[in-house]
Amino acid sequence: MMSTETKSAVTPTTIEQPSDVVPTPTREVTTADAVSGAPTELRHRAVRIFQPTRSTTQSGTGKSTRWRIDWDILQGGGRWENPLMGWASSADYMQGTRMSFRSKEDAIHFAEKQGWDYYVQATEINRIPPKNYAENYVYKPNKLRILRTK
Amino acid sequence: MLRLVSTATKPAATGRLVAGSRTFASSSRRQADITLTVDGKEVTVPQGSALIQACEAAGATIPRFCYHDRLAIAGNCRMCLVEVERSPKPVASCAMPAMPGSKVWTNTPLVHEAREGVMEFLLSNHPLDCPICDQGGECDLQDQSMRYGADRTRFHEIVGKRAVEDKDLGPLVKTSMNRCIQCTRCVRFANEVAGVEELGTTGRGNDMQIGMYVEKTMNSELSGNIVDLCPVGALTSKPYAFHARSWELKQTDSIDVMDAVGSNIRVDSRGTTVMRVQPRPNDDVNEEWISDKTRYAYDGLRSQRLTTPLIKDGDRFVPSSWEDALTAIATGLKNSGASGDEIQAVAGHLADTESLVALKDLVNRLGSDNLALDGVNGHAAPAHAVDVRSNYLFNTSIPGVEEADAILLVGTNPRHEAAVLNSRIRKSWLHTGLEVGFVGERVDTTYGYDYLGDSAKAVADFVAGKGAFAEKFKAAKKPMIIVGSSLVEHADGAAVYNALSKYVEQNKDKLLTPEWQGFSVLQRVASRSAAYDVGFVPSKKAAATKPKFVYLLNADEVDPKSIPQNAFVVYQGHHGDLGAQLADVCLPAAAYTEKSTTWVNTEGRAQLGRAAVPPPGASREDWKIIRALSEVVGSPLPYDDVLSLRDRLWEISPTLVRYESREPTSVEVALAGLKTLVAGTASAKVTGAPFKKSIDNFYQTDPISRASVTMAQCTRAFVKGENFGFSELSSASEAAYA
Repeated sequence: MMSTETKSAVTPTTIEQPSDVVPTPTREVTTADAVSGAPTELRHRAVRIFQPTRSTTQSGTGKSTRWRIDWDILQGGGRWENPLMGWASSADYMQGTRMSFRSKEDAIHFAEKQGWDYYVQATEINRIPPKNYAENYVYKPNKLRILRTK
Repeated sequence: MLRLVSTATKPAATGRLVAGSRTFASSSRRQADITLTVDGKEVTVPQGSALIQACEAAGATIPRFCYHDRLAIAGNCRMCLVEVERSPKPVASCAMPAMPGSKVWTNTPLVHEAREGVMEFLLSNHPLDCPICDQGGECDLQDQSMRYGADRTRFHEIVGKRAVEDKDLGPLVKTSMNRCIQCTRCVRFANEVAGVEELGTTGRGNDMQIGMYVEKTMNSELSGNIVDLCPVGALTSKPYAFHARSWELKQTDSIDVMDAVGSNIRVDSRGTTVMRVQPRPNDDVNEEWISDKTRYAYDGLRSQRLTTPLIKDGDRFVPSSWEDALTAIATGLKNSGASGDEIQAVAGHLADTESLVALKDLVNRLGSDNLALDGVNGHAAPAHAVDVRSNYLFNTSIPGVEEADAILLVGTNPRHEAAVLNSRIRKSWLHTGLEVGFVGERVDTTYGYDYLGDSAKAVADFVAGKGAFAEKFKAAKKPMIIVGSSLVEHADGAAVYNALSKYVEQNKDKLLTPEWQGFSVLQRVASRSAAYDVGFVPSKKAAATKPKFVYLLNADEVDPKSIPQNAFVVYQGHHGDLGAQLADVCLPAAAYTEKSTTWVNTEGRAQLGRAAVPPPGASREDWKIIRALSEVVGSPLPYDDVLSLRDRLWEISPTLVRYESREPTSVEVALAGLKTLVAGTASAKVTGAPFKKSIDNFYQTDPISRASVTMAQCTRAFVKGENFGFSELSSASEAAYA
C-alpha cells in the first residue's frame, strides 16, 4: 500500500544532521487498553495513519511533514444537528482526537501499543521537474502554440 | 547594508575541463546534478533547477507569491529574494538558475530587509479587510506579513490606496481586485493549463490590472483552480463566499466521483454539511487541479436528497421505516414472480465498488445474471468484453499521457469527460511537439488538432494509413490512441473497436511494448471501471430476458422505456432524480462524501474515499442496505462488516483493494485481450453514423450536479451563454462589495 516514490524530483542529498534522524522506536508492544480503561469499542475501528497533504491554497508546506492518526467517522451516530442550538452534536468520542507523530514508524508503534487496527495511507506524490526562467524565452521552431497575456 | 564577503571561495572545480582533455565540443558536457550550498548546507539538485527549488530541497523556506511549482516562472513579485555570494544585490531565487558551487543565504539581515521592502510596497496598496476577506486564515500575504510586514505604515497618499474595479468572471470566481498584488498566477494558469487566452493584464506598474479585457466570463472547466492559486483574496470562491472560515472546517481526504479520473480531493466540512471541496496534490492523478464540477457541485449534496425510505402508494410516495421498505421489496419480488434472469440489477454512475460487489453477489444468489449498466447499450455486454482489463482501461496511465508524441482521440472530448486529464494533454501539446488527431464531433479541446472526420469511416481511413495525421502517427515514437467511453454506446462502436484493435496488433512494436501501452479507453463515469472489473455485465441469455424485477443502484441515466410496465422497481440512491421517479420503493443511501468506499478510476487505480459527514436522515451506506435486503429476501450475504466485504473484493480482483496503485496489464495478456476483441467484433457492420458528443452540458452530468444550484448557474452562464450577473456588478455601488 505504501508508495515507493520519492517525495520530490529535487531530492536533497544533504549531509545528515543528527536532529533530522528520527530514531526507530523499539518494537516492544504491550497492548495498553488492557489497563488504560479505554472502551473496547475503540478496538473495532481502524485508524488511519497518514501524512497530511499540502494545502493548495497556500505555498507553505508546514504541516505536511508530520504523520497523523485519525478515525473514520461513525456511521449513524457520528454527528447530528442538535435541535436546541443547531450545533453539531456527536456520539463519537474520537471525533475531536488528532494525533501527530514525527515519523510513520512512531505512529504505527503507537497504534500497535494501543491495540488498534490501522492502515497507512500513501504519501503525497510530487514530481516537480526542474524549472527555469529561461524557458519563457526558448525559441520554438514551429507555429507558436501558447499565447501569453501576462 | 551589503553583507561583506570575507573569503572569496572558488567554485567547485569538478565541472572544469582540464586544458589537455579539451574536445571539439565548445559547450561543456551537460551534467545531471549540481551541488551548491544553501545556508551552509550542501544540496544536490538536477541541473537546470531554479535556485528556489534548490533552497527548498535544502529545507529553507522561501516566501513567494508569483512562483508556483506547476506554472511557468514569472519572477515579478520579488518576495523570494535571497543572498548569493559575490552578487552585489539580493537575487530573486525563482528567476535565478541554481549554479554549481554557489553559496546562498536565505536568512540574513540583507535578505530580511529586502523582503520587508517588497512587503511594504505590496501592503501599501492592499486593503486592510482581512476580517471580512474569504482568504483570511489561508492567505499567503497574511502569513508572510507576519514575518516580513511592518507594524506601521509610511504610506500617506492623499488620494488613498489604489482602487480597481471588480471583474465579473462568472458564477464561480468572485473577484475583489483591490486586493490583487499582480502575481499573475491566474493569468499564467489560464494561458498554460486552462487554455483561456482572454484572461490577462493591462497597464503597467501601479496601474496594472488583471481582467478579461472585455466584459466576459471566464469560460473554462478548470477556472476554480485560480481561486486556489491566488495568494491573496483577490479571487475567491463565489458559492463559498462568507459561508465559513478555513479554521472552522474539518478536512477529510477523499476521492472525487464526478468523472472517472478519480481526482484526489479534500472535503472540508463543518458540522453535518460539506462546505467546500479542495484538490489534494497527487502527481499520479490530478496534479494539483480539479474541475469546476468536482469543486462546486457539493451544494447539490444538500438538496433533493432522499432521507427516508419511500413506498409508492398509487401515484405518490409514502415515507416508511426501513423494515417496511425492505419487507415491501421482498413482497414485491415474490409478487412480481421474477425468477432467474428476470431479476435485473442496473448499476449507475455513482455506484461504489463495495455496493456493486454486494449487489452482484445478491443478484447472482437469486439465480440471475442480468446485471446491466446505466446508459445507452448498458443492457448488453459491451463490445470490448470485460475479460481482459486492458480492453477497457486507460492503459497508458494518466501521467503517461505527457510522454506521448502523437495522440489520436476517437469519439471522446477529454475536456468534458476528464477535464484534468485534458490539461495534461494541453501541457504536453504546449511544451513538446505533440500532434493530436481527432475523430468525432468538433469541439474546442484547448489544444489544436488534426480533424480526421466524425464517423467510423475516418477511423478506417486512419487505419489504412490515409491522410497526413496517419503518417505522423506512424512516425511517432510513443503514439497513443484514446478511445472514448461513448463508443460502446454507438452503433459503430464494435466496428471501430475492431479496426483499432487490429491496428494496435499490427503496430504492436510501438503501441504495445512493456515500456509503452498506447491503447487507452477513457471512461467518463466513476463507477464504470469498477463495474467492468467485478464483471457487472449481463450474459447474452440474460440480456435478452425481459425483467420483472428491476433494482436500480444509483441508476439515474436509465431509459424509462427500458423498464417494463409491470416490473417491480427498486431505486437505491441519494438523490430524488430520474431513477427515484420510476421506483416502487426508494431506499435512501449515502452520497460519496458520506461513505468510505473504494473507487476505481479510468486507469484501474483503486482509491479509498472517506466519509466526511454523516448521511442525512435515515439514509445508510449502500452496501449495508444491500446486505440488509439480502437478509429479508432470504439469501443473506456472507459479509457483516466492510473489512470482510473488502476481503470479498480481494477474492474477485486483488487490484480492487491495492489502493493508490495501478497494475498495468502485461503485453502478452493485453495482446490476448485484443485478439478476443477482434474476434468478438469481427461481424460488426459500419453504419457510418457520426459520433456525437457524449456530454452536452459539462456542468450537469449526474444527480449531484443536477441538484446543485451553482452548477445550474454555470449552465446558464457557460452552456446557454446567458449574460450571467453582469448587470448586477456594474449597477450596484462599490461599497456593497467592500
